This record gives sequence, structure tokens and C-alpha cells, in this order.
Amino acid sequence: MNLRPSAPFSRPGWRLWPGLAIAGALVVLAMAGLGALVWEASLPDMNELWRSRYLRTVVAFTVWQAFLSVVLSLLVAIPVARILARQSGFPGRVVLLRLMELSLVLPSIVAVSGLVSVYGRQGWLTGFANDWLGASWNLYGINGIVLAHVFFNAPLAARILLQAIESAPTSQLRVAAQLGLGRWWYWRAVEWPAVKPIMPGLAALVFTLCFTSFAIVMTLGGGPAATTIEVAIYQSLRFEFDAGQAALLAMVQLAICGFLWWLAARDGLTASLLPDRQVASHRSKAGSSFWARSGDAAALGLFVLFLVTPLIAILLRGLPGIGSAFFPEGSFSVNPALLDATLRSLAIALPAGLMSVSASLLILACGTAAFQPAITRLTNVAAYLPLMVPPLVLGTGLFLLFRPNLGSSSEGLILVTLINAMMALPFVLQMLRGPMGNLDSASRQQADQLGVLGWYRWRWLHWPRMRRPLALAMAYGTGLSLGDFGVIALFGSPGQPTLPVLLYQQLGSYRIDAAAATGLWLVLLLLMLFSLFNWLGSPLFNAGLASKSSRTVPEPEHA
Amino acid sequence: MLEVKNLVFAYPDQKAPWNFQFSVAPGQCIAIHGASGSGKSTLMNLLAGFLEPQSGDILWQGKSLRHRPPWHRPMTSVFQEHNLFEHLSVEANIGLGIHPGLKLTQEDQLAIERGLQSVGLGGFGKRIPGDLSGGQRQRVALLRTILRQQPMMLLDEPLTGLDSDTRDLLRQLLLEQKALGSLIVLASHDDEDRQVLADSICRL
Repeated sequence: MNLRPSAPFSRPGWRLWPGLAIAGALVVLAMAGLGALVWEASLPDMNELWRSRYLRTVVAFTVWQAFLSVVLSLLVAIPVARILARQSGFPGRVVLLRLMELSLVLPSIVAVSGLVSVYGRQGWLTGFANDWLGASWNLYGINGIVLAHVFFNAPLAARILLQAIESAPTSQLRVAAQLGLGRWWYWRAVEWPAVKPIMPGLAALVFTLCFTSFAIVMTLGGGPAATTIEVAIYQSLRFEFDAGQAALLAMVQLAICGFLWWLAARDGLTASLLPDRQVASHRSKAGSSFWARSGDAAALGLFVLFLVTPLIAILLRGLPGIGSAFFPEGSFSVNPALLDATLRSLAIALPAGLMSVSASLLILACGTAAFQPAITRLTNVAAYLPLMVPPLVLGTGLFLLFRPNLGSSSEGLILVTLINAMMALPFVLQMLRGPMGNLDSASRQQADQLGVLGWYRWRWLHWPRMRRPLALAMAYGTGLSLGDFGVIALFGSPGQPTLPVLLYQQLGSYRIDAAAATGLWLVLLLLMLFSLFNWLGSPLFNAGLASKSSRTVPEPEHA
Repeated sequence: MLEVKNLVFAYPDQKAPWNFQFSVAPGQCIAIHGASGSGKSTLMNLLAGFLEPQSGDILWQGKSLRHRPPWHRPMTSVFQEHNLFEHLSVEANIGLGIHPGLKLTQEDQLAIERGLQSVGLGGFGKRIPGDLSGGQRQRVALLRTILRQQPMMLLDEPLTGLDSDTRDLLRQLLLEQKALGSLIVLASHDDEDRQVLADSICRL
């Protein structure tokens, strides 16, 4: 018998145990954090919640603004997704889709500065509304919070809904095209059945993101009447040193988010909760007439304006000051504050991105290798835990747990990196889940028979399929961490700011030009990172490194 | 000698389970014959270790293969289609049959080159399967099976749908392998394939 050389890491344990250990560690970490909260607050008295008017207001406001944000985001997202599905061939569609995906990682504190430029007291649109419509508008308070949440979540929701609509069965699309169904019946027969299964998960995702929103509420909240639980936790810990109140609020937040996710996940969360970029196009009668196309173009134009004007504002406001931000007062040496903040941000974001990608891969490998449903459930729970246990709640628990030992700022930064990696995990994992699982059964059987296992299987079968999604996931993981202003605000030291913290400090001291320049620099840094990772994942880069034996599995042109 | 002893298998919704039993000597070809759904492909998958039988055993040279994973069974399969990794070049597809990590010596590379020439695919090494016709793909798959040098070949309708020239070429290659001592289990609808290649027939 011809003995085959055995592949490195080919024992089943190599796929199972590392991922299981990470999943277990995630659950333990979350439980430890929560346990510390309960311990510190010595089983907080829930009655206090009803006695304190402040706490009642905070909880009610958090739920109300999140509810409004979900409703408005979906009201914007559904028509946009339908238009994008109908009109699949217009120039700039790919750029628009990319822009919509970018909203997931656009640092909220930077986006807020753009929104202020457009909708603030001196904003472009506010001036127009006051002069021409006689309407008064105040961005600060619930108006601004909900507007910012819609700005962030409507594009993401539209992108996910588009994905769902375009994954409708081809047979249904053909029948609908042949019958020439109009818009309403097209929605009833094709689009609604496609989006219905993901609606609970999508609504839960948007609700959680708005419910746990921190930077937006900090900057646009405008006082105690517009404070969310996440901000109240921060204030309790940072300014009032009231761990008990923080614990109580954290548990309320966890209970509401956990209940919501349990409700949404009862029928099983679908894999299409995040766009996987494999979007196909189809034709229907509903969007083909001149008037239909004109109406779609007008509606889409409004959406693009809504999406792009704050970004243009960031560019226009930041551009004049970017030179002096780097080289203050004609100095030839780089501004040390900006340089340090940039390096500190990268020192946190790059390891956090790498950790989230590595942990996702190992958890996914464990999920596919496990034969016991309990292990698969554990990996699923661990993967989505950061969505159910918001990072600030987790951070609060870990802060309390490690508080006596959190002596140096570097230890705090390590914790920030860890929590940022956890925070990115559900998003990164969802991006990699599809490509990791798309090895067809025929290829798996061939590989099994040929002994292409372990490292060899990864190298020759998974890697060519995964390198682009991995690069993209790394970009998102890093980007999410780069723009983080929640965890760093809790653990970071004001004397050692990251870029978002520096921006917040500049805004707080009314150095508006400097803040605008820092915001622009943060966005540019993000774009540079995305370009870098895009290049690293492209066949162009890999052609120089890899042998000519394999090709990157091509993505569709529009993806 | 390959011995299939009371190998019992049924899919969850299947009322009457299959029971396979036959034996073949090295250098011989057994043709598995039967209508669609009679269990030909299932038998091939059981032999290869892709399916787990409910009872019975598979013996090779007197040793049980039943609990061995596919990569530890002395056989290579060729199906009617989907035999190649679509993103890998022809050379890499064949090379993975020689070394599962594609660590090829110069001799291996030379063997691939000569093999490709012998099946009329000289100069096709850098192409990917998507650039080949159905017949060319089957030639690549069969060449990989030959260069893998395992004592058994499991062929599940490998010549179906090919043009007559390609069928003649592949039949000739299989006859050569038989003469060199390979044991062939052939599932085929085609009478001519059975007449040319098979030494015995197992009806399902």
C-alpha cells in the first residue's frame, strides 16, 4: 500500500479544541464580567429602579429612541433596498453599495461632526429650513440621536434587505417577470417572502446597535433628559463612582437585549444577517418604465444626498486644517499629539482586528468539526455574545473585576484591545461564515480521499476562497476598533488618547477646526486601511506571493 | 483481494436495505450493473468511506477497511463529474494526488508532464478545469488516479457522456492499469464498457 504523508494539524482535535477553548473563554469572560457586577452591587435592589425618577427616565428614553430609530431606519431601508433590487444596472451602484457597507465602521464620533455640519444650528440644511420653510429644528436631544441612528443603520439595513431580496428563488423571479407583476404584487409575491424571515433578526440588530449607542448619545444627547443606559453607566463609573448603579443599569440593559435576541433567535438566526457581498441582479417589470425609473432615481438621489452630505461636510471642514493639524504653526516636526494618538489607535485596532479574525476562524472551524449539538450551540452563543452583552456592560464588569490590578494604562489598553476584538467578533464571524462553509461536498470528498487534510486543506482549498473575505473581515475588525469611543472612554486615560478620544477632547475644548481635521484624518486612515487590506486580499498582491497553482475564487463583478 | 461481506446500508426513508456481497482479485475489473437508484453510487461511496454501513465489512488483503477514514483506504475514485478542484490548475489537481500538500519533487513534476502528454493534454498543465472540455477533465481525473498509485480504482460512470475517441483512449488506459495489477470496481450503464473492461459482473 502506498503510504501517504500525513498533513500537519490533521487530527480532528486541531479543528475542535482551539475554537472550543476560545468560545469557552468568551463565555467565561462574559460571565466573569457580569458576576463581578452582581458581586459589586451585592444583588442590586430592583425596586430602586422604580423609585429613582432618573433611572426610570433613562430606561424609558433608551427604549423609546431605539424603537424610533428601528422604525425610521426600516422605513428608509425597505424602499431603498427595493429600488436597488429593481435598478441593478445604473452607474455608481457598486460604489453606493460599498458606501452603505462602510457605515458599519465609520467612527460614530466623526460622523456626528458631519451631521452637525449639515443639520446643526449653523448647518447647511438648518439654514435652508429656517430661511425657506420657517421651520425650527434642534439637532440636540432625541432629534439628533434618532437622525444619527438612521444615518448609520438605514444603509446597513438596506444592504442586508437587498441581499435577502436578491436571494429570492430564481424560479419565482422568472414567473414574476413573465407575469409582468406590478410593484405591489411584486412586493407581495417575491420581495416580502424573501425579507420576512430576516426581519426579526434585522430589527433586533438595529435595536441593539441603537440601544447600546454611546458616542452618538454622548455628543448629541443634550442633557439628562436624553441619556441612554450606556451613557448613564459611563457617568456612574467615571464621575459618580457608583458601581451599584452601574451594575443595576448594566443588568437592565442585558435583560432587555438578551430578551430581544432570544425572541429574534427563537426560530434560528439566518446566516444572511450581514451582507456577504455575493449579490446577484435580476430584472422585473416593476422598475422598467420611464416613470418608474424616474421615481426610483429621485428617491435614490435623496438617499444618496442623506448619506453623502455629512461625508462631504467632514471633508470640507477638515481639509483646510489638516496641514496645520500635522505641522502646527509652520513647524517641520509632526504634531506629537496627533502622531501618538494615531499610533495608539493603530496599536489597539490592528491586534483587535487580528484577534477577531483569528477567533472567528477557529470558532467556525470548531462549529463545523463538532458532532455534538451542545458544542455547536456553545460556539453560536459565544459568537453572538457581544451582541447580547453590550461591550460597555462587559467592560464595566471586567473593570470592576480587575479594578485593583488595573494599575498602568497599558493594562487598560490591553483590555480595550480584547473587548474591541470581542465587539467585532459577531460582524467578522458573519462575514467569514459563508466563504468558510462554501466548500462543496464533492470537493470535500475528493480532499478526504486524497488526504488533503489539516494545514494542507486550509492552504490549497480554503485559502484561495478565503483570502479576499479574510482581508475584508480584517478591514472591518480593525475599522470597528479604530473608531471605538465606548470602551476606550471607560478604560483609556485622558492623557493618552486614541484618535476618537482626541477628537472628543478637541470638541469639548471648542477647538472645532482641530477636531474637524482629526475627524478627517480618522476617516482617511480608515480608508487607507481598507485600501491596504483590499490590496492584500486582491489577486494582484497574491500573484506575487503564491505559486501559480491556484487562483483566487472570483467574486461576481458587482460584489 | 477485495472482499465485500454482507455490507448493509439504507437511507433513513428507505424500507428495504441494500445488502452487497462480492469479491475481486487484483488485476481484475468487476462491473456493477443496475438501474438508476439500484445502489451503484451508494456502493461506491461505502467502499470509499464516504458513507458508513450499518453492518458488514470490507476487507482488503484480509484486513478490514470498515473503520478506516477515506484517506487511509487504498483506493481512488473517479465520478462522472466534479472530480477536480475548480480553482486549482491541472498540474495542482494531479499533484495533490501525489502529495496532499503539493510538495512535489522534480521526478513528480516530470511524471505529471509525461502523464499529461500520454493522455493528449501536453501543455495543459497551467490551465484550470473551467477551461477544459468534459473529456479533458476526465482524462485529468484519471491521470491523477493513476499517478496516485493506489491498488484500487472506483469508477462511477467515468466514461458517460464522452465522445468516442476519448472513451477509447480512457478504456485503453484502464486496460493498461488492469494489466499492471490495479483492481477496478466499475459502475456503468454502458454495455460496451462492461464488455471491454469487466472480468465479472455484479447485478444490483
